[in-house]
Amino acid sequence: MTVVTSKVCVVGDFAVGKTSVIERFVNNQFSDKYLTTVGVKVDTKEIEHKALGISHKLVIWDVAGSDRFGHIELAYLRGANGYIFVADGTRLPTLRAARDLYQQITEEYGSAPCVLLVNKNDLTDQWNVRDERMEELTAHFGNTYRTSAKTGDEVETAMTRLSELIVDNDFRNE
Amino acid sequence: MSELDELKDLLFGAEKQALDSIAERVERRDVRAADVADILPEAIHQSYQKDGELVESLTDPIGECLQNAFRDDPETYGDALYPVMGPAIRKSIMHALRGFAQQINEAVEHSISPKGLKWRWQASRAGVPFGEYMLQKSLLFRVEQAYLISRENGLLVGHVHHEASKIKDSDAVSAMFTAIQDFVKESFSPDRTGRLESADMGEFTLWAVHGPHALLVCVIRGVPPRSLRGELSSILERIHFRYGEAIREYKGDTSSVPDVEVELERCLRFEARQEETKNKKGKSAFAVAALVLLLVTAAFFGFRSWNASKQHAALEAALTGVPGLYVSAVERDGRVFSVQGLRDPLAPNVVDVAARVGIAAEDLDVSMQAFQSLAPEMVATRAKRILGPPSGVQFDVSGTALIVEGDAPWAWQQRLLSSYKSIAGIETLDDSGLTAGDRERIIATVKDMNGQQFFFDSGITLVTESDDALAQYAADLGETAQNARRVGFMLAVALNGSTDGIGDAAANQTLARNRAVSVADVFRNNGLDVSDSGRLANDEIASEQTVDANQRYVQVELELIPLPHSP
Repeated sequence: MTVVTSKVCVVGDFAVGKTSVIERFVNNQFSDKYLTTVGVKVDTKEIEHKALGISHKLVIWDVAGSDRFGHIELAYLRGANGYIFVADGTRLPTLRAARDLYQQITEEYGSAPCVLLVNKNDLTDQWNVRDERMEELTAHFGNTYRTSAKTGDEVETAMTRLSELIVDNDFRNE
Repeated sequence: MSELDELKDLLFGAEKQALDSIAERVERRDVRAADVADILPEAIHQSYQKDGELVESLTDPIGECLQNAFRDDPETYGDALYPVMGPAIRKSIMHALRGFAQQINEAVEHSISPKGLKWRWQASRAGVPFGEYMLQKSLLFRVEQAYLISRENGLLVGHVHHEASKIKDSDAVSAMFTAIQDFVKESFSPDRTGRLESADMGEFTLWAVHGPHALLVCVIRGVPPRSLRGELSSILERIHFRYGEAIREYKGDTSSVPDVEVELERCLRFEARQEETKNKKGKSAFAVAALVLLLVTAAFFGFRSWNASKQHAALEAALTGVPGLYVSAVERDGRVFSVQGLRDPLAPNVVDVAARVGIAAEDLDVSMQAFQSLAPEMVATRAKRILGPPSGVQFDVSGTALIVEGDAPWAWQQRLLSSYKSIAGIETLDDSGLTAGDRERIIATVKDMNGQQFFFDSGITLVTESDDALAQYAADLGETAQNARRVGFMLAVALNGSTDGIGDAAANQTLARNRAVSVADVFRNNGLDVSDSGRLANDEIASEQTVDANQRYVQVELELIPLPHSP
């Protein structure tokens, strides 16, 4: 099985659950305790695409939350093969931040495969995103998932999808 | 030939011939080959001088050619390479064996040397295997890991590491280093051209060498020499030369940079710590000699100290048991023993006691104050010294009583009686076991001599035998009288004269007295003080009216009269 590696950056506003989503994806764990990420945190996780004979290793850069990136954060994103945008389904401004970040990144580095994770799906009573808005986001980001880092809902699916997009974009065209 | 062709010949004759010639050279394979062969060496030379592209281009096909050739005809190439391969293999084996021997030497040396024992202890404390700890201590530096990282995206292009190194997720390490690199550049370099080139982490140093498309990050244990950076730069340049384009386009597929690890392996260099081998043997011998000397000295002083301690204890024990000695302190300063306390002058000397436990007089510093001991042994000794008992007399002391046993002259016993109370510690005398043989002998002698009779023929003329006997008796009696005085007796002598009663009684009375006086005269001549003690035996004779020639004698009556004791 061929092993390929890709750089994936996780971006989004403060406290939307970026680190928790990655923790769930990489270690299948969740903690209610909030620890803010300083700078960037790196994890890796392999996803196997048996049909393609590819083992895809994602080097995940969990970038500190922000609604707009400065030079340092943008430097972290350089060369990324894909992005995971994360927003908080209970806070609508974070959806706006995700769109702004998407635009900023695209302007800086061009487009790349990405997925949008509207997180905290487990907080149903506080959920603020209507289905129409979700469709709108899907139209913008391409792939949108209602995830929950706490329960693990859709996290694996979203990551696998992103991996497929990257493999398709970077390794199957060659 | 058509008119057109003729016209062409007229107009472009020369050019046409040139074109035909060129066409022929292009079309004819052999001519083309000859042309290429003509310029090929020069073309190769120029291409090689210009850049390395030719080498890069030829590497794969030539490699394949060689593979095919070796496979098809291994014997020929084996023969051809034999002169090269033989020495190369020998050199390689020798190098490997030398390294192996060096490792064994170091392992053995470090295992049994003080340094090795110290390292073993430290490794045990640190929880690190001894071999690894020894390697850490023995190495000047060692490149433990080498990361080739894409500058574009921070992805790991290649990674090699030393076998003993502990490896974590190399992709994560690569990404994190890139993040740190970006952070440092964005934070501390105003124009963002600065680069993180080194970082220190405990025993490790990170060196980053930057290339156009990749950076080479080496994790180095120890202190690397500056020249190493140049060598790493050369390796990175070579990698860029081989894989530059692939790295620039690198998106995570390692197959696009085949065998890049082979190049990276060259980064894993190390250098052993240089021991001072020249002086090593000398130092080692010196260390052994010093150690032996130290051990001998320690053994000597240890034995001496042990021996001194033993002597110290023996001296204390010996002095403690001696009557008349009171030792307050026995101290040792080096080899000299200092003894302090009290000593009865009659007690044994400290020096003599010490000699019995093997301590010489020159090793003693004795400071004893005189005192009079009342220990029974010392009281007895003092009594002997004062009283001077004759041989055979035993002294003993029980409490305050002086017990004297044996036979002693009567005169000495008188001194004993008068002076025993003057001896310190003695209040009473037990002389029940004491006899005076000389006094007993005098009493016996006097008893034997008492009642001796000396017979007379007639008048005051002694019979012949009595005359001689009287002379001897008088001499003996004189001596006995002297001896009796020595044993506290005065010898009283009384002479009783007797007659046979024939004749006039008054005359007999006179005769008896005269006979006693005549014997007394003999006694006086021998120094005896004889009082007038003559008696008349005829009183009884006369009264009995018997006449007996055997009554013509003088009888000696002796009596020992005790003399008063001297005060």
